[in-house]
Amino acid sequence: MVSFAAEPIVYIGNFAITNSFLDTFLVDAIIVGLIFSVRKKLSLIPGKLQTVTESIISEFYNITESVAGTNAAKIFPFFMTFFIFILIANWTGLIPGISAIGIREEHGLIPLLRPATSDFNATLGLALVSVVATHILSIRTIGIFDYLSRYFSLNPINLFIGFLEIISEITKMISLSFRLFGNIFAGEIVLGTVSSMVAILFPLPFLMLEVVVGLVQALVFAMLTMAFMAILMTSHKTHAKEVSH
Amino acid sequence: MEFLKSLGFDPIMLGAQILNFLIIFYLLKRFLYKPVMDMVKKREDKITLGLKQAQEAQELMEKTLVDEKKILTKAQDEAKKIIEETKEESRQIASNIQEEAKVQAEKMLTQMRTQLDQDTRQMEKALMEKVSVLAADMLTKSLQGMLTESEQKEIVQKAVKQIKKVN
Repeated sequence: MVSFAAEPIVYIGNFAITNSFLDTFLVDAIIVGLIFSVRKKLSLIPGKLQTVTESIISEFYNITESVAGTNAAKIFPFFMTFFIFILIANWTGLIPGISAIGIREEHGLIPLLRPATSDFNATLGLALVSVVATHILSIRTIGIFDYLSRYFSLNPINLFIGFLEIISEITKMISLSFRLFGNIFAGEIVLGTVSSMVAILFPLPFLMLEVVVGLVQALVFAMLTMAFMAILMTSHKTHAKEVSH
Repeated sequence: MEFLKSLGFDPIMLGAQILNFLIIFYLLKRFLYKPVMDMVKKREDKITLGLKQAQEAQELMEKTLVDEKKILTKAQDEAKKIIEETKEESRQIASNIQEEAKVQAEKMLTQMRTQLDQDTRQMEKALMEKVSVLAADMLTKSLQGMLTESEQKEIVQKAVKQIKKVN
């Protein structure tokens, strides 16, 4: 049975290198490899890999531009990185046989690799980065006073709305981290259970489903981050004027 | 906190994951997005420039065609004008030549008439002289034996004088 917490594989002093953290390294290696591959053959006349990369990046930039307008250039790197990182992390857990490679202990097999996004620390870390980056970008774009006016006001109604906004910021973090963690962890359990029942062919539809779930969850996380950033980077006063008109 | 612990929450691992993500974020932004976007922009600029140049070339071609047409029309007009002028000139020259030839012919005709008159007169004169001599001879021969020599001479001289008077 898969445990909620990622299993430690080795220890460096007090720091436990867990199987999900090892998977994070795998994700890093894939991303760095991708960067090298694309950079190596980057030219004005693109090859196959460059064409695919350019198409994806251009498409995602266009999506960001359609939502965030002039702020697209600032938001796009976050949107794209969250998508790539989460997608690869989700899909690394779907490599056939990956959960079968591990360390056998008394209570069962501890897989060497476990999707990074099925570790709550990773998803919470991503959510934290998302929320903090959103607020930093907001301050840098609209200024500290306009930013604070969203949460604090002398008007009691607006002050109450500001209080609700603060709560929503906390819930954003919780929803982002738990949604991703829940979906991927649940997928892991489903795949583990199905594979333990019938190991051949039977898990294939579930595997396909998890491929889609992995893609959708990566998109949901990245899109929500983009939407939150776009909203917070719009001036509160301008937004209020637009609503009143 | 117990709930978080049960989910495997570890502040150090959380920090490591955040740090890891930030490194990946930096790497992707610095070494993938920027160069790829720059390359796309560069290509777009090049395509835009190419399209602009193609449009300029087309405009130039259209302008050249219009100019060519204008030049051709102008050349045709000039050619027509030159032909007209040449025709007019040739007509003038022909007329002049004709006029000159007419004058020349008339001059020649007048000269020939004068010459003819002169020749006729000379011939008439010569003929008259021959006729006078012949008449004198005939008169002398017909009067031989009827008159004396001196009378013959006198009559012949009178007759010759008379003939010359007639002329």
